[in-house]
Amino acid sequence: MAADPQITEERLNAIRDEAARTGKVQHGGIVPADSPFPKSALEMSYHGNPVLKPPTWTWQVPLYFFVGGVAGVSALMALVGHVTGNSALVRAELLVGLVGGAISAPLLIADLGRPGRFLNMLRVFKPRSAMSLGAWTLSGFSAAVGLAVICHELLRAGYGHEFLLAVEWFAEFLAAFTGLILASYTSVLLGVTAIPVWSENRRLIPAVFLTGALGSAAAVLEFLGFLIPATQLIGLVASTTEIVIAILIEVRDRYADRPLREGIAGWLTRAGAILAGPVSLLLRIYGVHSTGARYCAALCFIAGALIARYAWIAAGRASARDPQALFQIQRRDRNTTSAI
Amino acid sequence: MAVSAFLTDATLCIGCKACEVACKEWNHVPADGFTFTGNSYDNTNALGASTWRHVMFLEQPSSLGAQITGTDDPFRWQFLSDVCKHCQKAGCLEACPTGAIIRTELETVYVQPDVCNGCGYCVVSCPFGVVDKNHEVGTAFKCTFCYDRQREGLMPACAKACPTQSIQFGEINDLRKRAHVRVQELHERGYSDAQIYDPQKTSVEGTHAMFVILGEPETYNFPPAPEVPTVHMKSAWTAAIISALAVVLVVCVSFAL
Amino acid sequence: MPGLGTTFGRGGATTALPDLMNADAILIMGSNMAENHPVGFQWVMEAKERGARIIHVDPRFSRTSAVSDIWAPLRAGSDIVFLGGLVNFVIENSKEFREYVVNYTNAPIIISEDFEDTDDLDGLFSGWDPERRSYNPQTWAYAHCGTFDSAEQEYVDGGHAKESGRLTVPDLTSCERDDTLQHPGCVYQILKRHFARYTPEMVETACGVPRKLFLKIAETFCSASGPEKTAAMCYALGWTQHSDGVQIIRTAAILQLLLGNIGRPGGGIMALRGHASIQGSTDIPTLYDILPGYLPMPKLGVNSKDLATYYSKHQDKTGLWWNIDKYMVSLLKAYYGESATKENDWGYGWLPRVTGDHSHQGYFLDMMDGKVEGLFVMGQNPAVAGPNSRFERKALSKLKWLVVRDLVELESASFWYDSPEIGRGELRTEEIGTEVFFLPAAGHAEKEGCFTNTQRLIQWHQKAVDPPGDARSEPWFVYHLGRRLKQRARDDSRPRNAGLNALTWDYSLEGKNHDPSVEEVLQEINGRFLPDCTLVSGYSDLKADGSTVCGCWIYSGIFPAPGQNRANDRKARDFYGHGWAFSWPSDRRVLYNRASARPDGQPWSERKKLVWWDDVQKKWTGLDVPDFTATKPPDYTPPKGAEGDAALAGNRPFILHPDGLGWIWAPVGLADGPLPTHYEPLESPVRNPLYGQQTNPAAMPEQRPGNQYANSPDDRFPYVMTTYRLTEHHTSGAMSRTLSHLAELQPDPFCEISRELAAERGIRNGDWVTITSMRGIIEARALVTSRIQSLDVCGKRVHQVGVPYHWGYRGLVKGDIANDLIAISEEPNVRISEKKVILCNLVAGRRARGKEALEQMEAQIWGPRTAGHSPVGSASEGKSWR
Ligand SMILES: Nc1nc2c(c(=O)[nH]1)N[C@H]1C(S)=C(S)[C@@H](COP(=O)(O)OP(=O)(O)OC[C@H]3O[C@@H](n4cnc5c(=O)[nH]c(N)nc54)[C@H](O)[C@@H]3O)O[C@H]1N2
Ligand SMILES: Nc1nc2c(c(=O)[nH]1)N[C@H]1C(S)=C(S)[C@@H](COP(=O)(O)OP(=O)(O)OC[C@H]3O[C@@H](n4cnc5c(=O)[nH]c(N)nc54)[C@H](O)[C@@H]3O)O[C@H]1N2
Ligand code: SF4
Ligand code: SF4
Ligand code: SF4
Ligand code: SF4
Ligand code: SF4
Ligand SMILES: [Mo]
Repeated sequence: MAADPQITEERLNAIRDEAARTGKVQHGGIVPADSPFPKSALEMSYHGNPVLKPPTWTWQVPLYFFVGGVAGVSALMALVGHVTGNSALVRAELLVGLVGGAISAPLLIADLGRPGRFLNMLRVFKPRSAMSLGAWTLSGFSAAVGLAVICHELLRAGYGHEFLLAVEWFAEFLAAFTGLILASYTSVLLGVTAIPVWSENRRLIPAVFLTGALGSAAAVLEFLGFLIPATQLIGLVASTTEIVIAILIEVRDRYADRPLREGIAGWLTRAGAILAGPVSLLLRIYGVHSTGARYCAALCFIAGALIARYAWIAAGRASARDPQALFQIQRRDRNTTSAI
Repeated sequence: MAVSAFLTDATLCIGCKACEVACKEWNHVPADGFTFTGNSYDNTNALGASTWRHVMFLEQPSSLGAQITGTDDPFRWQFLSDVCKHCQKAGCLEACPTGAIIRTELETVYVQPDVCNGCGYCVVSCPFGVVDKNHEVGTAFKCTFCYDRQREGLMPACAKACPTQSIQFGEINDLRKRAHVRVQELHERGYSDAQIYDPQKTSVEGTHAMFVILGEPETYNFPPAPEVPTVHMKSAWTAAIISALAVVLVVCVSFAL
Repeated sequence: MPGLGTTFGRGGATTALPDLMNADAILIMGSNMAENHPVGFQWVMEAKERGARIIHVDPRFSRTSAVSDIWAPLRAGSDIVFLGGLVNFVIENSKEFREYVVNYTNAPIIISEDFEDTDDLDGLFSGWDPERRSYNPQTWAYAHCGTFDSAEQEYVDGGHAKESGRLTVPDLTSCERDDTLQHPGCVYQILKRHFARYTPEMVETACGVPRKLFLKIAETFCSASGPEKTAAMCYALGWTQHSDGVQIIRTAAILQLLLGNIGRPGGGIMALRGHASIQGSTDIPTLYDILPGYLPMPKLGVNSKDLATYYSKHQDKTGLWWNIDKYMVSLLKAYYGESATKENDWGYGWLPRVTGDHSHQGYFLDMMDGKVEGLFVMGQNPAVAGPNSRFERKALSKLKWLVVRDLVELESASFWYDSPEIGRGELRTEEIGTEVFFLPAAGHAEKEGCFTNTQRLIQWHQKAVDPPGDARSEPWFVYHLGRRLKQRARDDSRPRNAGLNALTWDYSLEGKNHDPSVEEVLQEINGRFLPDCTLVSGYSDLKADGSTVCGCWIYSGIFPAPGQNRANDRKARDFYGHGWAFSWPSDRRVLYNRASARPDGQPWSERKKLVWWDDVQKKWTGLDVPDFTATKPPDYTPPKGAEGDAALAGNRPFILHPDGLGWIWAPVGLADGPLPTHYEPLESPVRNPLYGQQTNPAAMPEQRPGNQYANSPDDRFPYVMTTYRLTEHHTSGAMSRTLSHLAELQPDPFCEISRELAAERGIRNGDWVTITSMRGIIEARALVTSRIQSLDVCGKRVHQVGVPYHWGYRGLVKGDIANDLIAISEEPNVRISEKKVILCNLVAGRRARGKEALEQMEAQIWGPRTAGHSPVGSASEGKSWR
């Protein structure tokens, strides 16, 4: 500022006070009633316009986040099932993985608009792009699960063979590994962006997404009839974690997290957390002996986790719209590193 | 080949929008809506898929150097033509899963429209909010730095149309020097708040579209310290791996019990 | 352009845009140059970078103000007070460039003792005839020598032509003058007394410009003038569109003469013209009262009898206008060829005569009265851009036929089915008898030809593509229409056809559309020798004996030899651009540049040299083509009885004037006074603080039903409204509202208001508001901004409302037409209408729709009927605005 910033600032504050008090400014007229009060340079942005672009993703994408997560963790469970020799579990989980993988691709394609466009992702392998890694992971995962299912079914149908078994082990291992990446890369995908609420929570979102995936995979398993202690235990752990995360978001009280606490996105976040967290947990604890309660808990968790995906995307949109979120973070960082 | 760059100077801009229109005309970029914003003379609002140059209009309660205005309080009206920064380290390019975004031989950042699949990841990865997806075409667009013109030895359309040399086009090091001289000169002429916007000390490592601005970058919606999102890659993956291991642990323990 | 024409001799910008770069200060006033001449504005920016001080005086803080060093907000319509204040400041503080003033202007000349000034007559000059509502300029003459030829008591009614009326100066040496400028009757002393009232305090009172700010501007501008420095001025419509517009420009011209800023590098007055070739269309006019090259049009009963009478009115004995016979005969030969002979007065009798007010406003008034049968509209959109467009649209419906040639079907061609009048039930399509012919026109890229730009530079443009479909160029249309008319008239020997039959109409046709050759037209404009048709090299070649033809003498030299189309030259040799196109006259870029040298022929200073006398070569040389007889030495004194240019001494730079001087005092040529004086606009929020005479007495408000005026002041219409353009659109918007890339930049009509007015009326930024005047009602969005300041004027808070006028009822973006609010009026010299100041009212909210909009407007004018308001305004029939 050309004039002494201090003086200008004082003057502006005086005007602001007067405007706030009386609704208008007398001398010469600075601000008519109801128009925005003059703000100091630091608070200002360009006409309050967003700096960043909001995500362009359609409704299919958060759904894909959810489905991919469930499928990925299911593959892990399939592997564990195989290790522990629970054949029924293996079969069920491989199927969940297979179906999940099969739904994922169309969901992504729906967002892209044309089937051929998915293939563009496979032109290059670019690990530093989470999106590229994700595309390859999804492809690898689908292939691995597919292979595992084929081997598993062949073996079950009596075509036993050493080699086939080895292949199944390999495919299951690969599916579990890629499954874990599939369930977690989406969190990195959000965390490694310019959107403040995502970027600031890049260490938290993996926990959110994986907890959701874990609990939902267990819940799906319960719906498939596996009302076993393992799923109950996983459910308890997942719901507890959800509660911890929700509390963290509420008490940290960071500016960048505002979309997670305010507005539609905030209420979505809370709704998701309440369903997957306390509601599900209490149902599990107080309905230990009731099958119905257990189904309810599973359903609540799935709903909660799904809502949470939409909530995070919505929070990203809101965050992109608020220039101050970005400026505050960068001013903070800049003051510590004195950038530019 | 020389490294192309822009130096856009707010103190030389007269807000004529010739650059904005020339860009659209040359590149056949469609109009994007007839809405009145009330934001001074700016009815465009921001860069986007169908706005690759955008002229900003800032009405501010401070003075322009030694300018005398017959207003009761300090006042100035500033203009600046914004454009894709063609970052040295570009968030969009890092993010692009298809390889659609490339660095050209001119060191500019270019979206190949036939390769882009519209995944939208560049959109959330640009720290300046520049690139956007055109929902009709379904793919991402931004300033091409007039790659086609430059290859034919022509100046970018926006720089060519600018009547006051507010948009200077040239070799990056030349322009960096010129920018410093200019800011020095402006300080001497009483524009004490003149500064260069070219975030070189952040992970963006400088831009190929530099600006001479007055006052704080925020007033132009320029991030004061932009970061390439991929600098957070490590911390994000670390968190993801820890979470994944926790999941593995929980699953194993649960099923083992 | 009589403002510049009467003062300097030629009605064109005195300088070239690149020359602004040499200025030490630039005063931009009455123009929003950065927005409306952005490309030319680069030279202002360049000057600023080189240290020049840029001053912008304008009711609004525009994009021009944004980059200026000083912005002063002034009340629209108060420019003469401001500029007069500057004149007063110069004289009071002896800031004038004395040597320049004494030698090159008529400041030392003694004026007739019969002259009485506005000070004595409360705002009128001597010679006012209230009956005829015009001046008899008898008393404005030079004393003793410069007798105004007024054998038959001539009244001035102004016009675009060279000064109508003749100043005969039998012997300049005998002209009474006082080089000490002390004689109370000399121009300088009269000027001093005349402007004595225009004090900084008066500027503060009348213009709302604080005294300190005014003095700062005065100091800045004056200190950038003198032998070592020069200052320039740029103006456009903010000065012209007033009921005293010509006198505003005169004030500026006087100021520049006092400061010695004319004819010198970085000085001058840059008249910024409008459309691409508006300068061209006054040079080779589309105006009703002049012929090409500013030759006056014959007027019925005044000068029309024969050429001898014409010459007796317009031929000066001394100066370049001595040659008017050569220019006139060559023009007539160009029109009528073989048929023009000495015996038939070169066909002078065939020229049409001016019989009345045939200006734009004049013929629309006649049209409303049913006196006009048909109209060609080519490249114009009066339904949107005409003054009182509501009135004009209704007038169009009274025509029998209307031909519109344009690129798009614009409002003027579609008024009969989609104008607001149809929607409001004022006009009914079934009842409109006008037969409308819409013909597609070729755009400028679809035809070749030339533009004459704002600095008198004639530039050729090539055809890029063929026009689509049936679209044809203007030359094609006019040529073939003429051809068919001639065919019809061929066997019809009625006298009225004689001229048409005699007209030469024989350009060769080219291309698949049979376009007439425009190069041939340009050659005709340049001029030829007869009978062998070789090209002349300049206007000095022209003869009055019928041995030359020339379509426009000032353009002569543009095509000096076959293949040498100088408008098409594309290699600039120097900074002034010589070698790039052709600047009339004779490629001179800075007019009157003889004044850049001292009387002895040497530059005033090294820094400001332009043209000087080379004693070795015995001729004038320099950086520009000398605007002077090249071999006339500085010490040349005319022999007794010399005529024409030979009668002007070697130190007389203003060669078109009979005395070779710059006219601070205009003894002839203006309808509203020899010196400028401030009058209030026809509608004003205040009474004239300087004189009892409220408005320009010679201006014509054309008050009549549908074109009523508010009182001055008027409680019903408390605010001052001014209109202007935006960079994003072009004039009536027909060319910009139809293009998506422009339409999106400014989609809605808006008005700019101060924060104070917004608070007063409870309006927030972006809200819709309704604006009414005595003539119409419109709605617009409000931009509430510090860029408009409410002012203290004559002890009263005055709010100004700025309204761009680009919207209409067609195109990609639509909106109400600002000009529905404007009044038809006529400035007395050029008959321009006052579009820059009217009174209006402004209220929050959108206007009513359909018929109710009219009721809403009526209610504003008359008040709610029941309230028993006595109708003021129109009932007082033309008294209120005086
Ligand atoms: N982009 C663009 N350029 C154009 C045009 C266009 O439509 N669009 N039109 C062209 C044409 S046809 C013309 S004639 C020129 C006109 O060029 P300008 O004369 O520059 O045009 P305007 O915007 O009508 O008015 C100029 C300024 O006069 C101010 N003004 C109003 N009333 C007064 C007053 O009483 N005193 C003073 N001192 N100033 C006053 C207005 O606020 C405005 O800023 O522009 C040409 N250039
Ligand atoms: N309130 C208010 N009113 C004003 C003014 C103001 O300042 N305030 N300014 C006044 C001024 S200075 C002007 S110049 C007028 C302008 O007013 P107009 O001249 O009535 O309006 P334009 O839109 O310029 O009209 C030009 C038309 O020519 C067409 N055209 C373009 N090229 C060609 C061609 O080659 N051939 C043909 N046949 N047509 C062509 C375009 O499509 C367009 O429709 O407005 C005046 N009205
Ligand atoms: S500004 Fe954004 S779109 Fe442009 S190169 Fe940088 S990251 Fe990419
Ligand atoms: S939208 Fe296109 S350019 Fe952007 S990241 Fe995806 S593929 Fe690359
Ligand atoms: S360089 Fe080309 S594409 Fe980029 S803004 Fe300028 S004109 Fe548009
Ligand atoms: S063309 Fe130049 S002067 Fe005009 S708005 Fe663009 S940058 Fe500014
Ligand atoms: S439109 Fe043409 S005349 Fe007007 S500023 Fe641009 S280049 Fe000059
Ligand atoms: Mo104009």
